[in-house]
Amino acid sequence: MLNDYDVCSFCDRVLTKDEQGLNKKILEGDARRGLCRCLSCMAEYLECEEEELRDKIEEFKSEGCKLFS
Amino acid sequence: MTKRLIYADHAATTPLSDAAWEAMVPFLRDDFGNPSSLHSWAKKPKAAIVEARETIAKCIGAEADEIYFTSGGTEANNWVINGSTGGLMISSYEHHSILNSAENARKKGRKVSFVNPSPNGSILTRNISRSWLDGVGLVSVMTANNEIGVINPIKGLVDYVHKQGVLFHTDSVQSIGHIPIDVREMGVDFLSASAHKFNGPKGVGFLYMRKGLSLKPLIFGGQQEQGVRAGTENVAAIVGMAAALKSNCDEMERNIRHLNLLASQLKAGLEELCNGVYFFGSKSELQLPGFVSASFPGRSSEGIVHIMDLKGVAISAGAACDSKNMQLSHVLKAVKLPRKYAEGTVRITLGIENTDEDVKMILNAFKVALR
Repeated sequence: MLNDYDVCSFCDRVLTKDEQGLNKKILEGDARRGLCRCLSCMAEYLECEEEELRDKIEEFKSEGCKLFS
Repeated sequence: MTKRLIYADHAATTPLSDAAWEAMVPFLRDDFGNPSSLHSWAKKPKAAIVEARETIAKCIGAEADEIYFTSGGTEANNWVINGSTGGLMISSYEHHSILNSAENARKKGRKVSFVNPSPNGSILTRNISRSWLDGVGLVSVMTANNEIGVINPIKGLVDYVHKQGVLFHTDSVQSIGHIPIDVREMGVDFLSASAHKFNGPKGVGFLYMRKGLSLKPLIFGGQQEQGVRAGTENVAAIVGMAAALKSNCDEMERNIRHLNLLASQLKAGLEELCNGVYFFGSKSELQLPGFVSASFPGRSSEGIVHIMDLKGVAISAGAACDSKNMQLSHVLKAVKLPRKYAEGTVRITLGIENTDEDVKMILNAFKVALR
């Protein structure tokens, strides 16, 4: 069974581990309430490019953050 | 279209000023001689160091032979703590270069005690009990805190501590070049500074040591710096530091007015965006110009900083998470900010190159980050 962290609350897309991590990392308040976004919905919400979010994921990974794959 | 980037993290480091850069260039290549050499290649670098020392001394009301060049604020702080004798009393929200040096001294058998700040962020005379000073040889309290920007009443603290026959050091890394600093007026015995915090280059700083005092050396080797700090001088950096400090001091009144205005615009805008935002320095306590420490209850500072970064705005966080928990900074713990506020504390530090337009863009970015 899928839980709140597994699917995008806005488009029902299944989230990757990196997308789940990004939700917890930068939109922690929403994530805690079970409101998660895929990269596309998050980019729209934050008014930025998906590529910039991917860069953020790589940045967190390089820092050794265990929330990412 | 290229995204416009706004740097609002000047408490972390500052851009090199034109004055510093122009002063440094000749010594990066053409005038490369070692100031200690006996031949004529030493002349220009040697003269430049003499002039830089005089310039810096003048900026802080000291005499030239009271200025000792170091590799930065961390070395200056390490030197004072490790080179002094007797017990140590330090504030609990000092920079880690003081805290960790004191811990090292404690392991070597020196007595170390801590003074806690008041909830408004200042260290006050009443926070220091006279009996605590028994056996203490040095008190160290920073001029202004690097995370919350609150300026401490150093002169009053010095007077109190001197009456007990104890020496006083202040870490002015965050303050020098931004607010008036006069060592004679403050009465301090030692003062640390770092160039990159006042638009100078990285890797250079200085220690002011009042005439007649001494510290055990930290670095051994040649006879540079009156024989107490060895190592060939980083001439370009020293010259750049002096030029940056002079330029900041010459323009200080104008800079303070400009930065205070921008900070008040920013605070007003943040109050509109977030009900219940708390600012350190919003009441009677003095704060560094352009320094905004804002606590957003119930928010994650780390999340805010990353969203601001995505929007092209560089600020910093007062808390960061490890793999499991949010770790609060030692400063926010020391001032006993409630956890709900501390976890959402960010530091926005404006610099002289920031404009009204930058503040508008910072507020636009916050609109997204605080949704």
